[in-house]
Amino acid sequence: MEFRLEAHRIVSISLGKIYSARGQRGGLKLHKNLLVSLVLRSARRVYLGEPGGECGLPPRPRDPPPPDCERLRRGGYRPLGSEAAARGRVECPAESPRKRSAVERGQAAGSPGKKPRREAEPSPPQEDMETGNVASLISIFGSSFSGLLGKERGAAEASEPGQVCCEQPVLRSLNPWSTAIVAF
Amino acid sequence: VAEADIISTVEFNHSGELLATGDKGGRVVIFQQEQENKIQSLSRGEYNVYSTFQSHEPEFDYLKSLEIEEKINKIRWLPQKNAAQFLLSTNDKTIKLWKISERDKRPEGYNLKEEDGRYRDPSTVTTLRVPVFRPMDLMVEASPRRIFANAHTYHINSISINSDYETYLSADDLRINLWHLEITDRSFNIVDIKPANMEELTEVITAAEFHPNSCNTFVYSSSKGTIRLCDMRASALCDRHSKLFEEPEDPSNRSFFSEIISSISDVKFSHSGRYMMTRDYLSVKIWDLNMENRPVETYQVHEYLRSKLCSLYENDCIFDKFECCWNGSDSVVMTGSYNNFFRMFDRNTKRDITLEASRENNKPRTVLKPRKVCASGKRKKDEISVDSLDFNKKILHTAWHPKENIIAVATTNNLYIFQDKVN
Repeated sequence: MEFRLEAHRIVSISLGKIYSARGQRGGLKLHKNLLVSLVLRSARRVYLGEPGGECGLPPRPRDPPPPDCERLRRGGYRPLGSEAAARGRVECPAESPRKRSAVERGQAAGSPGKKPRREAEPSPPQEDMETGNVASLISIFGSSFSGLLGKERGAAEASEPGQVCCEQPVLRSLNPWSTAIVAF
Repeated sequence: VAEADIISTVEFNHSGELLATGDKGGRVVIFQQEQENKIQSLSRGEYNVYSTFQSHEPEFDYLKSLEIEEKINKIRWLPQKNAAQFLLSTNDKTIKLWKISERDKRPEGYNLKEEDGRYRDPSTVTTLRVPVFRPMDLMVEASPRRIFANAHTYHINSISINSDYETYLSADDLRINLWHLEITDRSFNIVDIKPANMEELTEVITAAEFHPNSCNTFVYSSSKGTIRLCDMRASALCDRHSKLFEEPEDPSNRSFFSEIISSISDVKFSHSGRYMMTRDYLSVKIWDLNMENRPVETYQVHEYLRSKLCSLYENDCIFDKFECCWNGSDSVVMTGSYNNFFRMFDRNTKRDITLEASRENNKPRTVLKPRKVCASGKRKKDEISVDSLDFNKKILHTAWHPKENIIAVATTNNLYIFQDKVN
């Protein structure tokens, strides 16, 4: 759970940075905003418990593994880190859209990939309203910012019912960001 | 601290006699080394202000509704060809060639003008004389000779003068352009990594430099931690690299911030041209141009920060772009850190040292005391714990005299010049 809290925190910080970057003197700093969006993507994957999200995990001892990981492992999902480590390079699916789809195809082929994913689909703790809002923000953000955050599978979004609460003010500010990056 | 006074670049000229600094306010200040009396000198000459001028002004791009900062990102000196000195200075969008010349004589004895410049009534001129040059107080003038504009959509991060001394390159986040120093209305695009769809962007160019000896070779580093070496003889557009330098990532160090800390902030060729050095957030790496799959040497600058990356992300320090430099003989490399510390690594003895640039702790002409940061556990006397480091005091820019052991270290708004003891 701890790693998801950390991921959530990093997502909030990253969104804040992207939002405040808009008013910067000298215009959008492409390099910094690219790095922030990469962090945002990694943290988001971990937060939503997506396969491959473990690549973004900070190193931690594997016993006992966090509860979500346990569920994923039971479903036959192998953390990418272990096999990639043997190759000497972590080929995290977050690296590029192209690489990512190849990895996911491989996982879906084994079909256990899809089932545990739905099981592991988090319903963010509703006792913390802020967390719930952030989760929905991420989905909305993700769907309007497809390139950097990766193409979304319709199934993923549909399995999060009741999360449609939309933070209007923040959404308005996020959209100019995606417009700005296309204008670049 | 006035924001305009923040130093943004430091560079010695080819002889080391001049030292230029640029700041966030668009000004360039040049220091000149005193030509010391060699017989009775106890130390090398001091550096005093030689010239100050406003290089760039803030501009407004009306089409994009964006302000263009006047901050000087880089200064590069041309080798001296005549009495005048030339340097290139650049902000985010425009590169300028400046001529710095001395005037120590002025003509006196005009027929039609008074000494103060007022014109004389021609009817009062009854005799003719030939004006002569008379000595005057030294005046240093800076004048812009060329303005290289409108070639960069993104922010310029590097300029590098070719060893042919006729051309130079300028690099922004996605493109590198080749210029001729005499021609301002045209530049050639030699690298373009902009994807067709900007939403697919995954990496940007962070630094570029020409090889010191081969005029056809240059390198550029990326935000993904790779360095590409390109040969301009291969094709007009150097999109395919001749060599790709990349070290495989250590999977045990993987974190949310692995990508950020692997982004290269500076790349510098050694004077010999055999090696190049790269700086990423936590380390300095030396690469042999003949070996692409890993660096030949790696030096940890401040490894104790690895466990603090989340806080450094929060306060934006993780985005700080540290530069690095070689000494004249390529035996020592130097780079900055936080708390006004800077580090030197001796490649031969494998010894390293941490020094501090601050007025409180160092009186002029005293020997700098080595510093040590205590990463964890019991702090020894004179050690500084990681948690008491001041992350607002960062040394991003350092320069080493090309021939002597004199270094220039820029803190936020102060320039420190250190030299080794001369006995």
